[in-house]
Amino acid sequence: MINFSQRSVIALLCRVILGIVLIYASIDKIVHPAEFAKAIGNYNVLPFGLENLLGIVLPVLELLVGICLVLGIMIDGSAIIAGGMMVVFIIAISQALFRGIDINCGCFKVTVENGGHQVGIRRIIEDFIYLGMALMVLSRGEKKWELYPKS
Amino acid sequence: MITRLPIGQIIVITITSILLSLILNVIRPDGIPLLAKELAVAEEIEYDSAIEPRILAITLDQALELYQKGTIFVDAREPEYYQEGHIRGALNFPFFLELVFKLDSLQGKNAPLVLYCSGDECGSSEDLAYELQDEGFSNLLVFRGGWTAWDSSGHPTEP
Repeated sequence: MINFSQRSVIALLCRVILGIVLIYASIDKIVHPAEFAKAIGNYNVLPFGLENLLGIVLPVLELLVGICLVLGIMIDGSAIIAGGMMVVFIIAISQALFRGIDINCGCFKVTVENGGHQVGIRRIIEDFIYLGMALMVLSRGEKKWELYPKS
Repeated sequence: MITRLPIGQIIVITITSILLSLILNVIRPDGIPLLAKELAVAEEIEYDSAIEPRILAITLDQALELYQKGTIFVDAREPEYYQEGHIRGALNFPFFLELVFKLDSLQGKNAPLVLYCSGDECGSSEDLAYELQDEGFSNLLVFRGGWTAWDSSGHPTEP
């Protein structure tokens, strides 16, 4: 059985890895907003052209949450948002696979030419792993190595 | 384990992201409109060289009319899907530049060109339209119903 301080170390690792993944995933989307909005639009889940609004806000949210997780700022809130994003991504990719629409994932790289991937089961598994990491962060034992709030 | 939902933190992070991203979108030169616009549906199809570059959506009936007039159709799906079945005579090139050269040599850049993918819910035909527009093609028509609508209404297909 892992003890209290080992759990803290695992939670710290999860926090930093998840944070770096989110920061990395946000960069190509922030650089190419139009392409990312189109990638969201292709999922065909949002009405009224809302894909543009999401395409503008989501990458910055990912970046901010990633930075918060790495630095240890508002960790509980960040981890919940990160977990929530993973749940949304899992649903979005699953429904695309289920309906058999062959679209670009828009997950890490927004265009296929740029090295992006089509939606697939692999992305869903990865997102479940990241969701698990977010839950590990939320269930961490003691609150140390955290900048804000100090408990 | 946390016992209480940190609503305050969630709100702070979310609001900060929204504000930052909107400000960034306003100041950057390649910012995008807040809401995406649907492609306008073509009212009438111009066969002569279009005056200004445009991308329009067309219906099944319009697609059939264009098809009967010998307009070139481009299948924007992956080659696997194309090989399984496509609109008879439609072109499909895995390499974008190959497609550009082929189209340019066949009919130049101003003749009408119909693009389609699997159906209403795919985006690759529209994506391809924007890429072709960047290459100077000016009369791009995205056939919304795509392969599904065409095939189910019994119009010519191959193989």
